[in-house]
Amino acid sequence: MTLRLPDQRLDHWRDRLPDLLSRCSQPIVDLDCGDWTLNCNDLADLCAAVTEAGHQLGRITGRVPETVVSASALGLDASRSNTPSNRELQPNPVTTPASHLLFHNGTLRSGDHLQSERTILLYGDVNPGARISSTADVLVWGRLRGVAHAGCEGSTTAKIVALQLRPLQLRIAEAVARGPEDLPQAGLAEQATLKDGVIAIEPADIQSFQKR
Amino acid sequence: MSTTRTILICSGKGGVGKTTTTANLGIALARQGAKTVVLDADFGLRNLDLLLGLENRIVYTAQEVLAETCRLEQALVKHKQEPNLALLPAGNPRMLEWLKPKDMQAIVALLERQFDYVLIDCPAGIEDGFKNAAAAAREAVVITTPEVAAVRDADRVIGLLNTQGVQPVQLVLNRVRPKMMSNQEMLSVDDVTDILALPLLGLVFEDEQVIVSTNRGEPLTLSDSSSPAAQAYGNIAQRLQGEDVPLMDPSQARRGLRAKMRKLMQTRIF
Repeated sequence: MTLRLPDQRLDHWRDRLPDLLSRCSQPIVDLDCGDWTLNCNDLADLCAAVTEAGHQLGRITGRVPETVVSASALGLDASRSNTPSNRELQPNPVTTPASHLLFHNGTLRSGDHLQSERTILLYGDVNPGARISSTADVLVWGRLRGVAHAGCEGSTTAKIVALQLRPLQLRIAEAVARGPEDLPQAGLAEQATLKDGVIAIEPADIQSFQKR
Repeated sequence: MSTTRTILICSGKGGVGKTTTTANLGIALARQGAKTVVLDADFGLRNLDLLLGLENRIVYTAQEVLAETCRLEQALVKHKQEPNLALLPAGNPRMLEWLKPKDMQAIVALLERQFDYVLIDCPAGIEDGFKNAAAAAREAVVITTPEVAAVRDADRVIGLLNTQGVQPVQLVLNRVRPKMMSNQEMLSVDDVTDILALPLLGLVFEDEQVIVSTNRGEPLTLSDSSSPAAQAYGNIAQRLQGEDVPLMDPSQARRGLRAKMRKLMQTRIF
């Protein structure tokens, strides 16, 4: 399992560490340093704390080069992570190399906002009150019941696809539409695209994905 | 590591029944033999003591315990009828700022030494009060009512609990009105669990006896009341203890009520 250091804006990692460690159940713990800049001393303290709690440290990832270099210097298995940091949301975004796709595993709950410059593929629901926005497409493998914005920097060819498309509000580029109020047809993925400046919903078109 | 279960009772929205649930669950767990303490983290507007009828017995709070001006035993208020239950107010209503997440963890660590269950009554909202209360919790029970606003707020709170690593999070659906539900004037149980995607720990029906009992300072679970809410809280406590108790069915409840009425008519009048 992965131990994530807290958001720098919220807590200092030293304060949260005992608590985070007490929640770890597995022997091997990977460490995600997030945005923290940690020197060798910090990392040594971290290692000691992990070992003291009876765990074994696995991989270390971080977004800050200094952290990764320090970790390597200590002989730890360290690598850069390139997950976007500018979110209050912690759960597991994974990117494949050289991809235009951001994969997010998990439901967005009310108040969450997932934002990316890449096409977002979300495995889970977007609940009412949550927002998902991308400069490219938004693909939801689940129920879209919140607010979705595709092409948020003006791309009018962007589209929104969901297994169940019942959003509060849809936006594509500058266009805004309220979600449909009737109940969805069961078992039919739908997509929203911009047609003559107006957002239109229709059954999802598989062909348009195969071009990529 | 202790086997104490430290459970946060939270909801996001106010007025859905956090404090009522905490009081009733506390009594129910204590009656089932578990040593239980209820920690009032909503001490700015504290009324857990009121609901338990212990308002006039509070002398110290956790604040004094941490400042070492009194012992924990002095601050803990034992319930009059149910000696397995104790109450601890987390702080003084006039000194809201002193409490930090690490203080909360320190209090709970002290309590975990001598109790089987620590129930934390969380304040409404998602600001500092919530963060403090959540910092010390290991698991959580989210209370919501079948209303759109309450479900929305619960969803937000669940998201925050997930990022804090609180596990497991379970759901109690409070103030269910079977009649409105069957007339589809209210979100159904499925509607709520569909959005929140949490295991349902219990359903509590709207019950006027709850208001009477809270005003009197005697939680419903204290007596062997046959009121539906008292039974529901008892069931929730049993499920928390790992017993398999079937959920109440709102549609059956109506029928049950009507059958009872009919019985009453037959026995008393004819």
